[in-house]
Amino acid sequence: MATDGATAWSFGRIVRSQLLISVAAVLVAGLVGLGLIFSMHVSVSDAVAAFIDGTIGSPYSLAASINRSIAFGLVGIGFVFANRANLVNVGGEGQIAVGGIAATAVALYGGVQDLPFGLAFLLPLLAAVAAGAIWGAIAAVLKIKAGTNEVISTLLLSFIAVWLLYWTVQSEHLLRKPMTSSATLPESLEIPDTTKLPLLTGDYSFPLHIGLPITIVIAIVVGVVLARTLFGLQLRTVGLNPVAATRAGISYARTVLISLAVAGALGGLAGGFMLLGEQYVLKDGFSSGYGFDGLVAGLLARGSIVGVIAAALLFGFLRSGGINMEMVAAVPTALVMVIQGLIVITLAGAAFFLERQRA
Amino acid sequence: MTRGAAAVRQIESISTEPLLALEGLTKRFGSLVALSDASLAILPGEVHCILGENGAGKSTLCNLVFGVHAADAGAMTLDGRAYRPAGPADALAHGIAMVHQHFSLVPDMRVVDNIVLGQQCGMVNTKAWAARLERLAADYGFALDPFAKIEALSVGERQRVEIVKCLIREPRLFVLDEPTAVLLPDEIEALLDLCRRVAQKGCGIVLVTHKLAEIKRAADRVTVLRGGRVVARSDRPAVEIDALVRAMIQGELQKLDKTAASSLGVAGAGNTRAHLAPVGTPENRVLQVDGLSFVDSQGVTRLDNFNLAVGRGEIVGVAGVEGNGQSELGAALSGMAVAASGHVYVGDVETTKFTPKQMTQTGVAVVPEDRHASGCVLELSVADNIFLNRLETFASYGFLRRRALAAAARELMTRFDVRAQSPDVPFAALSGGNQQKAVLARELTLPNLKVLLASQPTRGLDVGAVTAVYGHIRDACARGVGVLLISSELDELLAVADRIVVLYRGRIMGSCAADPSQREKIGAMMAGHLQ
Amino acid sequence: MRLEVLAVFLGSSVRLATPLLLAGVGELVSERAGVLNMSVEGMMLTGAFAAAVGAWATGVPLAGLAIGILAVVPVALVQAVLSNTLRANQIVTGIGINILVLGATTLGYRELIGERSRTEIPGLSLWSPPGLGQIPVFGDAVFQQVWLLYAGIVIIVLTALVLRYTGIGIAIHAAGAEPRAVDKSGLSVAFIRYCCVLFTGFMSSLGGAFLSIGDIHTFTEGMTRGAGYLAIASVIFGKWKIGGTILACLLFGAATALQFQLPTLGIDIPNAFLIMLPYLLALLAVGGLTGRQTAPRALGEPFRR
Repeated sequence: MATDGATAWSFGRIVRSQLLISVAAVLVAGLVGLGLIFSMHVSVSDAVAAFIDGTIGSPYSLAASINRSIAFGLVGIGFVFANRANLVNVGGEGQIAVGGIAATAVALYGGVQDLPFGLAFLLPLLAAVAAGAIWGAIAAVLKIKAGTNEVISTLLLSFIAVWLLYWTVQSEHLLRKPMTSSATLPESLEIPDTTKLPLLTGDYSFPLHIGLPITIVIAIVVGVVLARTLFGLQLRTVGLNPVAATRAGISYARTVLISLAVAGALGGLAGGFMLLGEQYVLKDGFSSGYGFDGLVAGLLARGSIVGVIAAALLFGFLRSGGINMEMVAAVPTALVMVIQGLIVITLAGAAFFLERQRA
Repeated sequence: MTRGAAAVRQIESISTEPLLALEGLTKRFGSLVALSDASLAILPGEVHCILGENGAGKSTLCNLVFGVHAADAGAMTLDGRAYRPAGPADALAHGIAMVHQHFSLVPDMRVVDNIVLGQQCGMVNTKAWAARLERLAADYGFALDPFAKIEALSVGERQRVEIVKCLIREPRLFVLDEPTAVLLPDEIEALLDLCRRVAQKGCGIVLVTHKLAEIKRAADRVTVLRGGRVVARSDRPAVEIDALVRAMIQGELQKLDKTAASSLGVAGAGNTRAHLAPVGTPENRVLQVDGLSFVDSQGVTRLDNFNLAVGRGEIVGVAGVEGNGQSELGAALSGMAVAASGHVYVGDVETTKFTPKQMTQTGVAVVPEDRHASGCVLELSVADNIFLNRLETFASYGFLRRRALAAAARELMTRFDVRAQSPDVPFAALSGGNQQKAVLARELTLPNLKVLLASQPTRGLDVGAVTAVYGHIRDACARGVGVLLISSELDELLAVADRIVVLYRGRIMGSCAADPSQREKIGAMMAGHLQ
Repeated sequence: MRLEVLAVFLGSSVRLATPLLLAGVGELVSERAGVLNMSVEGMMLTGAFAAAVGAWATGVPLAGLAIGILAVVPVALVQAVLSNTLRANQIVTGIGINILVLGATTLGYRELIGERSRTEIPGLSLWSPPGLGQIPVFGDAVFQQVWLLYAGIVIIVLTALVLRYTGIGIAIHAAGAEPRAVDKSGLSVAFIRYCCVLFTGFMSSLGGAFLSIGDIHTFTEGMTRGAGYLAIASVIFGKWKIGGTILACLLFGAATALQFQLPTLGIDIPNAFLIMLPYLLALLAVGGLTGRQTAPRALGEPFRR
């Protein structure tokens, strides 16, 4: 972000043109999506109605959309944070998965359900954060010790985590609920009520949980750290020129470790929110797609926390709408993926023209 | 009729048709005008020198001729026909070859592979190519091992590979951009000799330089550039050298600061040291290096049993061309690399295993030879760069106090004459000279500065910046700072240092006083001959 | 008894390694030239989908293969344009393409063939090299493979020869190590990289086609399941050399084969762990178990004159 370089007017111009291009990319992709719906011989108005219904049609769907956005937003914020140091974390899905596993394990078997002061849900949340942080830290250690490209390592770790999740819910020795019959689903028991996150309104028809204010606070804190603190500048320096940064006394290892651990921690937190706040039962594949959606939100935002929030909301609503579209209007959710892919490619290519304009 | 066209007509009327004629060339990079209305003509078989300070536009001119950039205005003619190359491929096809300042060789490929690059698509008959290479090199009087890997060659050898790469295409025009900057004294002789021989075979040679000695030795005709414009020409450069210098720097050579004059390669400019600093007694020593050795990741010994002592206020010059252990020495002194053996002491403190932060705290300042690689972050602001190694002093409770940072930066910028629009502009917006001054500003204002290691500090700087840089270095010496000056420019060291130590293949060849009478001895040691 | 089990295991390993081999060698060429194609996954999936649809529509598996190859060209071009001409972040564009392809092929399959139907698609036939196929016990199990594998081997050998002994190979090496040298030699860095990306696309589509019409004769949504990323990991594992890459792919194939082999031997290791194994191995590989990696110096950096 040009908070310390450009003069006011050119800063504004860059932000405006980036915003313009982002909006344009979304609109174009949306139009393509509508076109595809049309070509599938589905009534566009039906599909759109189902979409809107799924996003804001009822308090329940609105809360669900926002809850989704929280998960994407956290992964996106983590991505932006690490990206400031030129580290690309694509392992969001895996970090969510291990976060969910840790949260469920502690909630069910950690003996926390009778603890006071909200520790019943706070401790599982912390476990989720720790698990995610460790998952991110593994990639950091590999990068520091062996120079491993973090794109590949976080990606591989993500696959491993997803299969770890599968293993966890399949095995009775782990978190699978006791099999009473051959039809028992591979999933965990439901977590005790005290470990579930309190709702903001206490009303289950509008299940917005405390994850929302927590996420907003995190977004503000991260934004401030990146823009105004010494550590934020050190992050940026390491990202731009690691050799000069080392010479200037900034610890490369410490910076890489903190960046990826924080990114992982935020992903883990997202997983914790999903389990303790919405789903209450650990199931196979619960993180499916969330990692990439959050990643794309981070990429779209081009370094801005506000951008991440906007993109996360967009994708949260897109997803909710997409799910309803599939249930009601038989439009596969894969359509949403097509739209997302188009947005990413368009924006990545558009960066070229933005560079030209600045020069 | 433009002045450019008139110049070309004048030359045409002499006798030969020009090989390459440039008329009114102009090139802009953003708001910087690198070249403005430049006109000149190259005759076949001549050695034409383009003389100018750093930043005068010489490299831009070459890049236009070679098709790396396209001119904004003006025209070029080759053999009387319009010449507008779309890229290097085009230029090569027209018979124009260029040896650049920064070599374009692939380090982990062999010599013969580098030569074959771009010559053919199909199966490579390596033996035939190797034989052809050896023959060509012999023709021009030097030896070449076709199967050596580039990364194992010295800088001088690599340049010969670049040259052979050009000559094998039998060019009609051969452009060399500052070729002698990285060579040993006798290698320079050999290169100029080679230029003569190539010219005798009918090829036109364009030799870009800022060294007056080379003009005297090699040039048939000279064109002088200053600030992107052609300001003088000469058909008899050896005779008219004073006028040329006057045009180049807009001043008299005699009035120039001696160190600045040395950067123009004026031999025997005399030592600027008013007095010889006291030879370092143990109490007086600010830096002591004992038996320092470095082994790189491939197991090659880069620094071998290096011993050196620097006293308070003393300037010790380390002579030697690039690639002989200078970067490893710099890495050791900045805490960036771990030595295989040996010790380093700054004052009383042993700093052998110190981190960069600890080195800075102990008072060791380093001006690296490639500031863009390790000395600065181009995208950050000038203020950020000036305080890069002590940003914490501007942080309270973790928050950066930007206004205090900018104010402190402004103060330093004034003191060190770093010219920029404001402390908040990106570092990349500064000229090379100003960037170097900013790096010096950072390093020379370290709280308890004891030692300064400056590596090629004036490379690429114009005369004004050179004067400023040495002014600051001398001020630091007067304050008692010990200076270790690493440079491949012998004249610079002779003008500035108290004594000179020669580094060759990681070992100290010998040391002597920095007196012009020692020039030959030092040159021989730089080439590896023990004294 | 044991020998037969070993034979089946070797045969499965080779079979499971084949898509990785094809895509891995393709990606190797691109990375040597300095382009990192995160979109190998997407290119494989495109090949798998298009080949399946083509074979289903025409009834001729060979036509399906051809259609698979053709379909990948626009995808590879998009990656090439974005990476070289528009100088976009190569990782971002790769992942974007993967998401797009996953969505598009899923949509396409549901529309064209129908949701969740496991329609039998005409597939490529098996072939066995003369002589080798007749070895007792091993011959059939190990050497009777889909002919695409043997075609792939021929292509791989040719690629290795070109990289090592021709001017093209020198140019590719230089483009990845020192693109400026290529530019100043009169060649076009962009052209070289475009061609390499197209080659990667071609090989990836073969790998993907092998999955759908070669191996299981059907298409399932997202059937590549990370194979593209394993291919990239194999290049790193193999230190950007063909020999190493091939070994890495075989290792990953063997790890995957264990999934099916160990239960028959009565060894009871949780299935999930076995599925995870190739990724775990890949992680260990890129994590430096095989020594510090030295990538081509210009890998991932767009070239600007």
